[in-house]
Amino acid sequence: MENAEVLIDCQSVWKVFGERNAEAIEAITAQGLSKRDILRDFGCVVGVSDASLQVHRGEIFCIMGLSGSGKSTLIRLLNRLIEPSLGTVLVKGQDISKMDAAALRRTRAEHIGMVFQSVALLPQRNVLENAAFGLEVQGIPRNERNRAAAAALAKVGLSDWTKHYPSELSGGMQQRVGLARALAADPEIILMDEPFSALDPLIRRQLQDEFRQLTKELGKSAVFITHDLDEAIRIGDRIAIMKDGALIQVGTAEDIVMNPADQYVADFVAGISRLHLIKAHSVMVPVVDWDGPVDDLPRCDPEADIDALIAQITETSADALAVQEDGRVVGVVSVRNLLLGVRGEAGTDPIGAEA
Amino acid sequence: MEDFVDSFDRQVDDILYWLTDNAAFLFDAARYALEGLYDGVLWALISAPFYAVAVVLGLAAWRMIGLVPGIVTALALAACYAMGLWAETMETLALVFAASVIALAISLPVGILAGLFPRLDRALMPTLDLIQTMPPYIYLLPAIALLGYGPATALAATVIVAMPPAIRLTSLGIRETPHEFIELGQASGVTTRQMFFKIRLPFAVPSIMAGINQSLMMAFGMVVIAGIVGSGGLGETIYGAIRTLDIATSINASIAIVVLTMVLDRITQSAARKR
Repeated sequence: MENAEVLIDCQSVWKVFGERNAEAIEAITAQGLSKRDILRDFGCVVGVSDASLQVHRGEIFCIMGLSGSGKSTLIRLLNRLIEPSLGTVLVKGQDISKMDAAALRRTRAEHIGMVFQSVALLPQRNVLENAAFGLEVQGIPRNERNRAAAAALAKVGLSDWTKHYPSELSGGMQQRVGLARALAADPEIILMDEPFSALDPLIRRQLQDEFRQLTKELGKSAVFITHDLDEAIRIGDRIAIMKDGALIQVGTAEDIVMNPADQYVADFVAGISRLHLIKAHSVMVPVVDWDGPVDDLPRCDPEADIDALIAQITETSADALAVQEDGRVVGVVSVRNLLLGVRGEAGTDPIGAEA
Repeated sequence: MEDFVDSFDRQVDDILYWLTDNAAFLFDAARYALEGLYDGVLWALISAPFYAVAVVLGLAAWRMIGLVPGIVTALALAACYAMGLWAETMETLALVFAASVIALAISLPVGILAGLFPRLDRALMPTLDLIQTMPPYIYLLPAIALLGYGPATALAATVIVAMPPAIRLTSLGIRETPHEFIELGQASGVTTRQMFFKIRLPFAVPSIMAGINQSLMMAFGMVVIAGIVGSGGLGETIYGAIRTLDIATSINASIAIVVLTMVLDRITQSAARKR
């Protein structure tokens, strides 16, 4: 993933709402004023402060934050629905704040799809016409755009509903149409603004899985906004945690759970189950720190998660598993390491060091 | 103070005299245009037999509302014929139709512009408030001074009274597009034109239709009042009946007005709801 092409490159982007935003940004960078100070002293609201992130081709990037953290503002800066106060957003290497109206329209129409929390299906149009909307405004002939829209609807499992109107569909189905509309124009990047937040938990989980599968299958990149850490972990390849307009940590779910950047993130991840998040390579200790014979130990994969490791270790009589990569033993996971892993602690201590 | 008021009144009078003296050709042209439109519409309505008009409106009501309202509409119009008021009813219909066409031809574009440009909307609002708070027959006075006695005056005054609701509701409909759909348009890369025709206008249609319906109702009210200035039609029948205390005729004419108003109101209302 690291080596893949960067599709969105967001470099120190700021959005401060209010007339004195330039002064406010200066005050934040120079004096480190808080969001509340800025509102009091400058009458400005800090939406996004100094956000930098990169989204690679084929990656699902989740931005997690509570309401008011600036995540909706941030995602709108990526396709310039909101103008940044400062900073640069490059989409496929092009600075979108320097584009003229026509170039910006083209970029939005061809490269960046967007799905909204409110779905925003046009009530006067049927499902097919809604899914074809993006292509219609690009001036694609009717037959061609209907074919593309029907194909996109088939991908989200709505082939039988093309002639129905949005009001006849359930919330989950409406959001599938929203996704089909974004996919129909075949953009490389899809911006998802809390798309599943208004759905009930069962449907939400189903759509999360389908969305991830579909995105990976089609090789799309996505920026996915959510206020639900579980959702971010389920969907995202990488997760950014946002608070008061700033990205306070960016990393894989495992990184964030194992090494929270600060107390805020630590509190957030405290309730998250580690069983499926943490992999053998994160809890293993070097072979030299294991004082028994390694050759007799059962083998496991470095990408196996704790849940799988526990299952494997309880089925055998061994006290530990040897982590094997490319035919070579790279580390050992003991029962003690697994227990630490469940608590979110890495296996850095040598076995029985304090004993 | 009194002097000031007197001089103000004299000024207004002078302006009106000046206009009648110097801009007569303009108002004559307006008069011919208005009467020409009215005569054309009236000719079409009168030269068709009464049952044809009743059937056409009945069919319209059937398509737009339902079978029973359709039958009631046709029967009610036949009743206007039976009361011996067919010609007057058609004159009133022609006045309302002609006035509404002119009023909408002006107020829909103006309303759309006001919806797109909030500044224009703010500038227009006091004028519309003024038009709507003044007693409607006020508009007959300058009209009669400039256009003379007859249907042209009635039309001019009716157009003025009928415009405000259509302007207001059109502007409101265009302005109040839900924010998420504006974002959808932007994110989909629409042009300004596409934003208007594919997003703003479809959402505004119910409000615009309600405005058309309101304008029509205002036009009806004014057309009856305009009987005083010799508009012809049911308004003049009622005005004449009141002066001679001919209660029976005034009640018949009132019934015909109610019939016509209800028919057009229900048909345009259901057109608004259908969207």
